[in-house]
Amino acid sequence: MSDDLIAKYNYDVFASQNFEQWMRWDSSPKIGSDAPDFPLWTLDEQETRLSALWKQHNYLIVEFGSFT
Amino acid sequence: MASQSMNAAAERFASQGIGSIFLYTHEAHPAEHYPAHRSMRQKFQQARALRDILGVTRPILVDTLDGGCHRHYGGFPNMTWIFSRAGTIVYKADWTATDSVVRMVEYLLEVQEQRKNRERLAPFRVERLDFRDVDRAAFYDGLRRNGPQAVADFARTFPDTAQYAKKE
Repeated sequence: MSDDLIAKYNYDVFASQNFEQWMRWDSSPKIGSDAPDFPLWTLDEQETRLSALWKQHNYLIVEFGSFT
Repeated sequence: MASQSMNAAAERFASQGIGSIFLYTHEAHPAEHYPAHRSMRQKFQQARALRDILGVTRPILVDTLDGGCHRHYGGFPNMTWIFSRAGTIVYKADWTATDSVVRMVEYLLEVQEQRKNRERLAPFRVERLDFRDVDRAAFYDGLRRNGPQAVADFARTFPDTAQYAKKE
């Protein structure tokens, strides 16, 4: 995890040159394919994985977002 | 933004084997009250604040500081994805609209019932353009919650919306 990537991803100012580079829908995983797995953390700071969550249900809805 | 209608959808389907989470990414509109993340400690603090202030009743999960999961899944600010228990991607939307999600879950439950009845089904892919409500005034209220900088940055980036920047 590079400091440069962290700084660019967590930009200080909402401006096209800062946010558009992260919006890559066309290269995102395809419908019907195996979902890539990633580490995630609960609010009590316990590490888990996305796969551990989808395995708990017939289907798992994942909404990505922030305050806005 | 985490909506009450997505909380309601999660509660509606919870007893039918449908899980629902909110995955906290980065602050799309960083400002005085909720600035850009500089540490995981800060990211956890802001995720807990989001839970309390927006009233998110779904489990909230937190991505890495560099947004590894968020970036890989397309990096849009308010996407929704649905995964099967086997880890197959069955729905992806570059924006969250509860009506669209609910229609898909209802369809998945119908398919589940058909499979229980041993109907022969084969998957296929479909693309569709859905539509969502746009409430600029409410969106700007959300920006104000983040702080004056969020309002100013958005109005500067999308000047056709600047009329909403001034609260009447």
